[in-house]
Amino acid sequence: MGLLDGLRAILGSRAEADAGRDADPDDLFGMSTAYLTMQADLGYESLDVGALCFSGVDSSDFRDAVDEVEAILEAGQEETGTEFSVTSDDHGYHWVVLADDDPEDLITSMHFAADTFIEHGYGSRLLAAVFAYQDRDGTAYWIYSFRRGRFYPFVPRDGRERDSSAEFTLESALDGELEIEREKEYWYPLWPSEGGTHPWE
Amino acid sequence: MLNVLFRFDRSDVGYGNTIASVLERLDRALISPEPLISDMNWQADWGLRARMFVTMFLLFALYIVFAGALALYIGGGLWLFALLFASFSLVQYYFSDTLTLKSMGAKTVSADEYPQLHASIERLSQQADLPKPKVAVVDSTVPNAFATGRNQKNAAVCVTTGIMDTLDQEELDGVLAHELAHVKNRDMMVMTIASFLSTIAFMIVRWGAFFGGGHGRGGGREGGGGIVVAILVSLVVWIISYLLIRALSRYREYAADRGAAAITGNPSALASALLKISGEMDKVPKDDMREEAEMNAFFIIPIKSGIVGRLFSTHPPTERRVEQLRDLEREMQSF
Repeated sequence: MGLLDGLRAILGSRAEADAGRDADPDDLFGMSTAYLTMQADLGYESLDVGALCFSGVDSSDFRDAVDEVEAILEAGQEETGTEFSVTSDDHGYHWVVLADDDPEDLITSMHFAADTFIEHGYGSRLLAAVFAYQDRDGTAYWIYSFRRGRFYPFVPRDGRERDSSAEFTLESALDGELEIEREKEYWYPLWPSEGGTHPWE
Repeated sequence: MLNVLFRFDRSDVGYGNTIASVLERLDRALISPEPLISDMNWQADWGLRARMFVTMFLLFALYIVFAGALALYIGGGLWLFALLFASFSLVQYYFSDTLTLKSMGAKTVSADEYPQLHASIERLSQQADLPKPKVAVVDSTVPNAFATGRNQKNAAVCVTTGIMDTLDQEELDGVLAHELAHVKNRDMMVMTIASFLSTIAFMIVRWGAFFGGGHGRGGGREGGGGIVVAILVSLVVWIISYLLIRALSRYREYAADRGAAAITGNPSALASALLKISGEMDKVPKDDMREEAEMNAFFIIPIKSGIVGRLFSTHPPTERRVEQLRDLEREMQSF
């Protein structure tokens, strides 16, 4: 805890400051080399989908921001061929789901979308970005927390179990390449919705 | 437990009147119209921060004078007692999460038992940049919620079954975010430190004569006179600090409301939750109310209601909190 954070805690504005902190979408580009490592060194294939999770705000200004995100992705679709959709989950959170078999284009589109939220002053609403991979044991994810500015692995298995050994392997293999979340209590899972699927599935 | 020591007798109200009116004016100045901007980059409430700082400054100044006076008039005798008491409250603070949950009859629940509650707290903690706290439930129809724990890693958020029945999902999220904001702002620690010497002052008022009697056997008349002065000083310190602590607690509530609004992005839902709960609270028979000030400080709405008036309450009036949240909502909606 830095001096400024300490002062904020004393004055009771830490919660507001941290929850309202803007995100830095440039970190997402860290994933573009990680793709190669995942494939070459670990045998994980990209599932060619990525998703941004954000919480909604009930205001017309925010709806305008989401509309512009859609417009920008629509325009980009012609150029990069990135497919997209906007959905929500049963926690009341919203998702921009993107699909592109070129990882570079996928990340660029995600960056665009995130950047548009930030330009509109809603960077603090961005919760996480998800990158999906697969190997023979199943699906594995890299989750980027916009709040923490860090990546962490998430390998879900049947029955809401996490494969911690696979997560550990991913953590050690990508260490140095990605800014990895050191404090494991922040490795928040993103479990599928009631129907058993994730928004990007 | 410390809680008992915060009980306030009505007969003492008179002593605090001057300070009371000063604090009242400070409180009144709280909500001022601010320039409106759209999106969620709310204007920082510097007034609130300043008031919080001034309150804490006054409290510490008071405590320093108090400590000086004690050293002057009593010397070593009561310091030993103070030290004992310090270690006692340190232990209490250290185990505050389990102690509070136990004394409230709260039960830690797993994600299997309350999947929805766990999921909400998980997402909100993520947004608030907090590790997930323990989740506990009290089986009670009184709609309430509280947070406890000495730091972020040992925090617990607790709700009653009543609040889950009363509020819809968005409103409950607002309340949970309010509690997480308390954890984030380290309010448990701030209030423990703030009320520590006040409690000692109260103990001296209550037990000082007893200690002086035991101590003064060899010391003669001079020692006895010192004790009387110390008791008087303690009484004044206790009354003033009591008011300051209450003011500080109210400011922390406003701050936690702002924090909750920033976490959920939905000030209106918290406002409607507050209105709903306060409406429900009025219907609860008086007999059901408990006077646990120490814990009240972390409740969303205090259980004890308005006999001694606003200045002596740990929470600001609901209308005032709702007004603040409406201001945040307006800032967000306008262009």
